[in-house]
Amino acid sequence: MFRHTPLRYATLAVLAAGMFAAAMTAEYFGLEILTEIAILAILVLALDMVAGFGGMVSLCHGALMGVGAYAYAVLAAKAGLAPPVAMAAAIAISGACSWVIGAICARSHGIYFIMATLAFGQMAYSYAFDSAALGGDDGVSGIPRLDLSAIGIDLNDGQSFALFCLLALAAAYGAAVIILRSGLGRSLTGIMHNEQRMRAVGLVTWRVKADVFGLSGMIAGLAGVLAAQHIMFVSPGLLAWTVSGEALVVVILGGLGTLVGPLVGAVLFVLLKHEISNVTPYWHLVVGVILVAVVMSRANGVFGWIEARVARWQAPRVISSRKEQVKNA
Amino acid sequence: MLETRNLDKSFGAIHVTRDVSLKLERGERRVILGPNGAGKTTLFNQLVGELRPDTGSIHLAGEDVTALPVATRARRGLSRSYQKNTLFDGLTVAENLALAASVATGNAMNMWTDSLAKPEIRDIVDDVANQVSLIPYIHAKVSEVSYGVRRQLEVGVALATRPLVLLMDEPTSGVGPEMAKGFHDLLNNLPRDLTLLIIEHDMDLAFDVADTITVLNYGEVVFDGLPEQARGSQLLKEIYLGSWEDA
Amino acid sequence: MSQDLGFWAVQTLNALQLSMLLFLLSIGLTVIFGLMHFVNLAHGSLYAFGAYVAASVASVAGFWAGFIAAPIAVAVLGLVLYVTLIKRMRRSGPMPQVLITFGLIFALLDLTRIIWGDLALGIEVPAILSGRVSVLGVEYPAYRLFIIALGAAIYAGLASVLARTQIGAMIRAGVDNDAMASCLGINVERLFFLVFCMGCALAGLAGAVAAPLLSVTPDMGLQILIPTLIVIVIGGLGSLKGAIAGSLIYGFVQTFGAALAPQLSSILIYALLAAVLVTRPTGLFPAKG
Repeated sequence: MFRHTPLRYATLAVLAAGMFAAAMTAEYFGLEILTEIAILAILVLALDMVAGFGGMVSLCHGALMGVGAYAYAVLAAKAGLAPPVAMAAAIAISGACSWVIGAICARSHGIYFIMATLAFGQMAYSYAFDSAALGGDDGVSGIPRLDLSAIGIDLNDGQSFALFCLLALAAAYGAAVIILRSGLGRSLTGIMHNEQRMRAVGLVTWRVKADVFGLSGMIAGLAGVLAAQHIMFVSPGLLAWTVSGEALVVVILGGLGTLVGPLVGAVLFVLLKHEISNVTPYWHLVVGVILVAVVMSRANGVFGWIEARVARWQAPRVISSRKEQVKNA
Repeated sequence: MLETRNLDKSFGAIHVTRDVSLKLERGERRVILGPNGAGKTTLFNQLVGELRPDTGSIHLAGEDVTALPVATRARRGLSRSYQKNTLFDGLTVAENLALAASVATGNAMNMWTDSLAKPEIRDIVDDVANQVSLIPYIHAKVSEVSYGVRRQLEVGVALATRPLVLLMDEPTSGVGPEMAKGFHDLLNNLPRDLTLLIIEHDMDLAFDVADTITVLNYGEVVFDGLPEQARGSQLLKEIYLGSWEDA
Repeated sequence: MSQDLGFWAVQTLNALQLSMLLFLLSIGLTVIFGLMHFVNLAHGSLYAFGAYVAASVASVAGFWAGFIAAPIAVAVLGLVLYVTLIKRMRRSGPMPQVLITFGLIFALLDLTRIIWGDLALGIEVPAILSGRVSVLGVEYPAYRLFIIALGAAIYAGLASVLARTQIGAMIRAGVDNDAMASCLGINVERLFFLVFCMGCALAGLAGAVAAPLLSVTPDMGLQILIPTLIVIVIGGLGSLKGAIAGSLIYGFVQTFGAALAPQLSSILIYALLAAVLVTRPTGLFPAKG
């Protein structure tokens, strides 16, 4: 069950302060990286919601993000809808697609669930790749950013857009926390621990899975909308299964089922990628080796490892204070 | 309250339930006895909907529920506990109870409010924890409490759905005689209007709780009556006690 | 009409050829899963590695030398992976396994780039198979027929090994219930090791066979992975029958889809996969009931 611990609050505060400071001080390239981090962080939040709290390891979240990006691109750039309307519609569309996928896959478990979501993701990828309406291999360009000039903000400015994405990240985090702490989110965690028993106490388990998967898809769709606005261009590569795979890697590197961990993972992943790319063109090799090492270590990612260490450090103190109570009694 | 009419089920050539007709009145406490493999758990699985009977029907509070899925029957008031602990192992005792209570109170699909913080759910959790003596362990993780406590929680989760009929599959299986006795006291203290159907292996313990007794053998009802009659029944001794001593 | 028949004949042969290539890949993956419950996403990378080895050896010593060398080299690589990583990951759930092998995909991808560079390698079809043969009233490339024959031969060989030999019986017992199999005195660990290396060797063979047809590039492993996974999920994990059925379904749907309904072809196979998963969540011929 999700709950905030002092460590999680502290980590959130450090992340928020660090990102805000970076947004205020960074140059062009730094702002690009910051925006990339914020968008990836939103995507991995969505993935951790279902994978870490529902055991639904999805390999289609990259594609769901792509659905959001394409929906926004087509509605805003081709159909000429106003950006805010297109944004809301795009999020709703990816949520709806996600709900349907979640409902269909709800019966599958373990490796079959992974494969089934992979299949749906690839279906979307192939469709985008072959569809003339979506620009095929060339994608869609000329995507407008949200126009906030009414309140004196120009999102075409890198810094404003980075701050906008950070705000969206904060909103997505808030939404994820509310959902995970709600009755629905708790039911999902119950299903992860014992689906048969949840059914036996009267829960329609596929509905819970589909609903949370749909909500998670909306958050992934938000990431997609922002990604489309960020580079002002979408291409089928956005929906490739490796994007989903990378998101899963980030969740694992950060700490599955901690919600805060994946945020840490997103920061580390993007920074690492850029740092390694500066040194060698073979950054995949480095990430691959790190991933293997993290999984082999059996720690729950970087943040999970820290949490475990802190818990171990606290445990002896609790025991010793109990012993003292016994003595005093 | 709960009624079965001519329930029949086979797995291939094995006839596991033969023409079982039972009728439980509201507040009745019935114990099902029978040797291993008599079809007791299979009967439970059909009652709650985890298995479909081949023929026959099941009625809950006057309504035919034979075709309804497990979850719907549970929401209509038919709850069960399992012979093998079927709990949410990574969660605390309170969270286990709250999950069941949130379904019963219609909070399980709510997207906004924290179900654990709702007073109506907390009340059920406290109430059930009290009924099955779980108060001292309420914030412990299931994986950290003893087997006996988990057996209590197994019944507790079923109770937290606020059922009309509670089916218990060997609630005392695997616990020592001392604890089993305590368990039966606990069952005797449950509200009198709750209908109980209990699978029990130990005859003496069964007589502690039962208003009525049903004996199954090879999927068939071979005895249906009061405990006193059961105690004296020659047929029962042969079928049930015979195989009991063999085992 | 004869032209029409020719069209059907060519498409059928194309479908068979694709099916057999996928079969070589999927059989290793599916038996490894059935026996060890291990999902090796890096199977495609092993196939790419095999293709590179075949191309390198072939450029010095001819096609057949590469044809022999690739399975051996990939089996050795599989051996190294088994001893260092996979043996230790066997008991963990699907998630860590997916991730470990996902990490391997990344690592192997860049390793092939480091060793062989980013440029595509080519490899010549051997002289004896370079011509065309007349079958079913059409002229068809001999090399493609060779692939069909090779796939069929390997299927027949594996089927008889599984059905008739001691080791086959041990593998079937292991797939059915590995705990029980080890109680019966079968050395399950050694069996796993053997099957894993065999699966890798077949992936290497598939790479060697595919090399002359496709250009050998670092990402060829990624491209083949998804079709292979689709094959084993449609067919049902762990069974030889599932692997061959899944391969044929994929090959025919893909080939005829592209020929008859080009607009739909790309999503057809995914839709089929989704339909199979909805109606038969464990595939058409799962190893276990």
